[in-house]
Amino acid sequence: MGRYLKLYGRFTAQYLKFMMQSKVNFFIGFFGFLTVQASGLAFLYLVFQHIPTLNGWSFYEILFIYGFAQLPRGIDHLLTDYIWLLGMRVIIKGEFDRYLLRPINPLFHLISERFQPDAFGEIIVGIVITGIAIKKLGMEITFLKVILFIVFILAGAIIYTSIKLFFASLAFWIKNSMPIMNLTYAMADFAKYPNQIYSKFVQAIITVIIPFAFTAFIPATYFTGDTSLTLALFGTVGAAIISFTVAYSIWLRGIKIYESAGN
Amino acid sequence: MIHVENLTKEFKFRKSQPGLKGAVKGLFSNVTETKTAVNNISFDISPGEIVGYIGSNGAGKSTTIKMMTGILTPTGGRCLVNGIVPYEKRMENSQNIGVVFGQRTQLWWDLPLSETFTILRDIYRVPNKEFQDRMEFLESVLGFNEFIHSTVRTLSLGQRMRADLAAAMIHNPKILFLDEPSIGLDVVVKENIRKAIKLMNKEFNTTVLLTTHDMAEIEELCNRIIIIDSGEKIYDGDKKQFKDKYGYMKTIEMNIANEEKAKLLNFNTSFNLSSEDINWSIKDQKIVLNYHKDKVSSMQIISCAMDKVDINDINIRELPIEDIVKGIYQGLT
Repeated sequence: MGRYLKLYGRFTAQYLKFMMQSKVNFFIGFFGFLTVQASGLAFLYLVFQHIPTLNGWSFYEILFIYGFAQLPRGIDHLLTDYIWLLGMRVIIKGEFDRYLLRPINPLFHLISERFQPDAFGEIIVGIVITGIAIKKLGMEITFLKVILFIVFILAGAIIYTSIKLFFASLAFWIKNSMPIMNLTYAMADFAKYPNQIYSKFVQAIITVIIPFAFTAFIPATYFTGDTSLTLALFGTVGAAIISFTVAYSIWLRGIKIYESAGN
Repeated sequence: MIHVENLTKEFKFRKSQPGLKGAVKGLFSNVTETKTAVNNISFDISPGEIVGYIGSNGAGKSTTIKMMTGILTPTGGRCLVNGIVPYEKRMENSQNIGVVFGQRTQLWWDLPLSETFTILRDIYRVPNKEFQDRMEFLESVLGFNEFIHSTVRTLSLGQRMRADLAAAMIHNPKILFLDEPSIGLDVVVKENIRKAIKLMNKEFNTTVLLTTHDMAEIEELCNRIIIIDSGEKIYDGDKKQFKDKYGYMKTIEMNIANEEKAKLLNFNTSFNLSSEDINWSIKDQKIVLNYHKDKVSSMQIISCAMDKVDINDINIRELPIEDIVKGIYQGLT
């Protein structure tokens, strides 16, 4: 385990060094993301200029959930971005072979191919927004709450990674799983807003089947007092464990049937 | 070191018919076809051998290597590499082997070459002192220091191949699998790579399984040759035997102006040799002639031809592997 941490540290240091070299690239990516986030927020703000509450939720409560939603997504984006390429090209072009030729876990090898600092934009926005919302809502900051916050964020990141991994691994069978990955990821945006505004059907899907709800809405609303600790804690951590187990099994199955790509 | 027993690999795929109608039909039908890429192959390779694994394109060479490196699981039979079943204990097997695929790189694309080397050192847990010594040795033999700080993306093919070979050797693997390592390379780089492989084999007793289409490479490196065709092993023996039996033919192509005059030539009678030792055809303003190089020289043939017809250009080459394989089949039937 420690060995993998050291290896990952090495990979990351190198990519950071490399990315800093193209400073223009780095800043464009960074600010690009910032801008996208800002426009999303501007939209929210404008909406709330016209309505006092959304289905019972105040502006700052929504803001908190929105900001909270960015954090697991950002962490996942930062570290495991290369999983997209599994679905896009690694299998089709036979580039997967090299991950099977090294004495390290192939998933680790795949993930360590890329470190995406653009995601820092996402994370910073998330922290800022959440901070503002916490202040405006007058939320109490206790040691327990901080720990839970971190646990929820990490569990949420694992859920994101697992969902991504699951759909990317379908490429072992269908060769190009980009379309379905894009579709699924679009659903992740649903978790930025309160569950109740969706139909029962959609709620069921994003809670139970593709558990995006547990990356943001459910854990975030524990802090606003709308969800019990039991549901938030066991639900989120449970969803993380289950989704990772399912995704990793599909990944392993895919490797078993992998047939490379001619020459 | 390597034990291959009745190794078989079949690929199943949907047979699709051409055209739009065929594509629609394909949605409803369930016809699958099986292609046997590797069919019941067996051989044993001892430590320190350099074996040429040759055959025409599509013969099953890469598929066999992929099974020995753990990428593919065989449909039948088994293989052991240094006592390990590669597709069952992949990571353990990876520690013992080095692989170079000529068509694909294993270096980290977006990072400087030096980083690939140090990352590999960490991945394979090579002690620092050993790493330094090995890098010195590899540099002396492959000369990559001039581009070691360049991003792999920016390297030329020749530089990349040298780097790939070095990367495969960092952990001093007991076995090197080289799948067409010199494809597309110029003569100088090919020379370097051959020297490197020879030295590594001598210095570390590395077992080498080499796939190539280049007869000169076989000539220089291999002491044993295994030939595979349509998934089956059709020859397994030492190089000298192989050369004696099959490597003696060469081909001359002569560009001529007058086909009619060329038809008057008869090389069999001129040199008193049977058509097995010398045969030719005339087409498209060219005489393409195959001859036994120990029984008649190219100079003799050319002057004989020049006697009757004007020659504009000459091209002499070794008989390509495909023709040798064809020849082996004809010898067997």
